[in-house]
Amino acid sequence: MNRAHFHRAHFHRAHWHRAASPWWPWALAWLLPLAGCAQRFQAPGLGDQQEPALSGDGRLLAMVAERGGRRSVRLVERLSGRELPLQGLQRGQPHRSPSLSWNGRYLALILQRDSRRDVVVLDRALGQLRPLPLPADRLPERLSLSPDGRRLAIEVLRQGQLDVELFRIPAHEADLPPGTPL
Amino acid sequence: MSGALLLPLRRLGRGVGLGLGLGLGLCLGGCQPAGLQPEAGLNPRLAVPGDDSSPSLGNRGLAWIAPGLGGHRQVRWLDLASGLGSPLPGLNRPDAQPISVSVDGQGQRFALVRRLEGRTELLVYERSLALLRPIPLLPAGVPGQVALSADGRWLAVQVSRGGAWQVELLALP
Repeated sequence: MNRAHFHRAHFHRAHWHRAASPWWPWALAWLLPLAGCAQRFQAPGLGDQQEPALSGDGRLLAMVAERGGRRSVRLVERLSGRELPLQGLQRGQPHRSPSLSWNGRYLALILQRDSRRDVVVLDRALGQLRPLPLPADRLPERLSLSPDGRRLAIEVLRQGQLDVELFRIPAHEADLPPGTPL
Repeated sequence: MSGALLLPLRRLGRGVGLGLGLGLGLCLGGCQPAGLQPEAGLNPRLAVPGDDSSPSLGNRGLAWIAPGLGGHRQVRWLDLASGLGSPLPGLNRPDAQPISVSVDGQGQRFALVRRLEGRTELLVYERSLALLRPIPLLPAGVPGQVALSADGRWLAVQVSRGGAWQVELLALP
């Protein structure tokens, strides 16, 4: 069953703790009780759900979910609970570390191809899966795409050490919030 | 055909070939989408001894977990425009071990999962107020990886309950 469902679970209050002076923000925070609305992603046949990522306004949720023994990226529209198709991502499992641009045009992820681990970006507007090769001595572990989709931070394993490296993606048009001047 | 006639044609052919070659080269250089280009000015500032992890990019900067003074792991912030780090007062504790961090687009709100005194907790940090807020999970669970939307209003967290991982969404005011 492809259709996923979100269920509003509960409301709860959260409390602020003071981390630094001055006193007035702390007092103000205590005067304004904050409520968080928890929603849980539930779909029949879906196993472990991990590595969540959100679009800029939280409209889209990407995550790695286990289904039929395969760890694949799932993209879900939060309000409707509808699972959106991801053309071109049927192979290369397991998928890891999805990351979304503001409107969800770009979905960056790591996928396994034989013994290799590749960084790719799915351009959902064009329906293109674009490989983004790294130098051979780097093994990607985790990704973070900037909200405009034009930068990528990658946690890489290199010579036994984890490093964070920043890259530009010049080929990408900026995926900006609606109404933002170019 | 005589050699006198062939010579101009050959020259013309060479010219057309050269032009096509140049045009193709320019198109490949200017039109072909390039891959990843390293941020040569910023990457040396991220290169510190020890393991770095959990990168999270906003529009203005990068948050990640890096070794700090005394070997304690801490959340750090790098401003992309200036290439300089900024302090995050009230966020890091020497007795806490950060596990996952995520930042909003403006670099003002951070979501953090850390281990402190044997507990794993989920928190939200407001940078402008230097305030740290624990977010309770109901029913109780152990948080793992966290993601904040760029507008800072939604938080997605991986939660372990009964040996299974779930993803939970929280609306933040």
